[in-house]
Amino acid sequence: MRYPFPVGTVDFIQGDEAIARAAILAGCRFYAGYPITPASEIFEAMSIYMPLVDGVSIQMEDEIGSIAAVVGASWAGAKSMTATSGPGFSLMMENLGYAIMTETPLVLVNVQRSGPSTGQPTLAAQGDLMQAIWGTHGDHSLIVLAPATVQEAFDMTIKAFNLAEKYRTPVILLTDAEVGHMRERVYAPHPDELELIYRKLPANEEEAKYPFGDIHGDLVPPMPVFGKGHHTYVTGLTHDEKGRPKTVESEIHEKLLKRIVEKIEKNKKDIVDYEGYGLEDAEIVIIGFGIVTRSAMRAVKELRKKGIKAGLLKLNVLWPFDFELIERIAEKAGKIYVVEMNLGQLYHMVKEGANGKVPVELIPKIGGEIHTPKEIIERIKDNLR
Amino acid sequence: MGWVITMQIRLAGFGGQGVILAGVILGDAAAIEGLNVIQTQDYGSQSRGGHSIADLIISKDPIYDLIVTKADVLLALAQLGYDSTKESLREGGLLIVDTELVQPDREFTGAPFTRIAEEEVGLALTVNMVALGYLVAKTNIVKKESVEEAIRRRVPKGTEEINLKAFRIGYEEGTK
Repeated sequence: MRYPFPVGTVDFIQGDEAIARAAILAGCRFYAGYPITPASEIFEAMSIYMPLVDGVSIQMEDEIGSIAAVVGASWAGAKSMTATSGPGFSLMMENLGYAIMTETPLVLVNVQRSGPSTGQPTLAAQGDLMQAIWGTHGDHSLIVLAPATVQEAFDMTIKAFNLAEKYRTPVILLTDAEVGHMRERVYAPHPDELELIYRKLPANEEEAKYPFGDIHGDLVPPMPVFGKGHHTYVTGLTHDEKGRPKTVESEIHEKLLKRIVEKIEKNKKDIVDYEGYGLEDAEIVIIGFGIVTRSAMRAVKELRKKGIKAGLLKLNVLWPFDFELIERIAEKAGKIYVVEMNLGQLYHMVKEGANGKVPVELIPKIGGEIHTPKEIIERIKDNLR
Repeated sequence: MGWVITMQIRLAGFGGQGVILAGVILGDAAAIEGLNVIQTQDYGSQSRGGHSIADLIISKDPIYDLIVTKADVLLALAQLGYDSTKESLREGGLLIVDTELVQPDREFTGAPFTRIAEEEVGLALTVNMVALGYLVAKTNIVKKESVEEAIRRRVPKGTEEINLKAFRIGYEEGTK
């Protein structure tokens, strides 16, 4: 297999470009999208690369159509992806729910910009966190990942495909305009270095009859492929193990939804990922995700130089959320600060995790610029006075 | 100019001067050398004439500060670029200007990059490479050879030689 970009070597590329390349390395062969700043470069790269790897990249009429095409392609057996930003992400919410309900593996990239509505199209924000987790209606679960560097954007795209295939679920890569547009030094692995996961297929005709049945006891049913001779019914309506609509039987609905939620929750240990710095003895812990954790890291290092025992918890996975981890930190720390580029979203989850054991304070920022380390340091020092 | 652990470099001009491409090439050269580097940009919506700024942070350490706050080096190819960025150059920082297009109000070095591109290289469009050559010679941030490799990788096919020529002429000028 020849790749239309360098592999097994270092390159200097934008976050958006890294996501496109990583998706292709992960085996993605279908992309559907609609251009939107600051995610358009992903689409541009896909349009160039896909024909060269026998894949498909198409422009749809809008974002509703884009994610619908991705759901269809996934059921036809292709690892599939779309990417967008705020306004397009809102349009995708309905079919994101359809993907969850039909247990369709796909990767949805949201290169966050400042909203609501068309907002600040070229500037970064982290205002879509709650929407990424809870934006589609009804009870559900899914997986949300958040990169802070171009390298992480690359690596987490591969991880997103692996998790989507392993757990038959949509995975959201929640990044932002800053990571998307900045260029950084990136190591693009050679395909031989990668461990790729492919969805479980039905082993025989009998298994293919139960595309929504927990027939292996691992909560993840094997997924039939359209065009391979199976009769499969796929619907967003509540359905039984064979996929037939059952819209009034409460026990069928409960069984289905509980399994969809539990296949994520019960595998939390496998999915959750974070990085800690100085947590062993930290009296002040800063918690954040994505781009702002870089400023927070500088702040922590500066505070330590001044003799203040600070630490950083950088969350790489935002859903499923490790509430127990936050509680463990709250038991040791004197104070938790949540740094995020919005008016308080992660803050509420951290507060729930901290469970009243320690004060939790928000350091918010909106308007398109990242917190500077100085802003974080001054806020913390003000409180120490 | 001595290497510090982290260098903040800002390139400023107007759209069409190739300021951002010069920034990408410098960043690529740093990446080739195994340094950590980030490059961001800021520009007006016009394809020509608006302000255009490329920022680079090059470091031997992991990079946590993403914003150029106190530039060690400022390259200004136009008065517009200089006026809007001069405050960001740290005290004692190196100011490099196109001496025929920018009138600085502080200590500086430089050369008439645009005229050199026109007269010596034979293509005004290569002003970015002339200035980049000058900057690399003055600062030694990266090796000449790394930039040349990056130029071959990054400029449009068929224009490698003229861009390399422009870079070398600028580099020569910077060693004077």
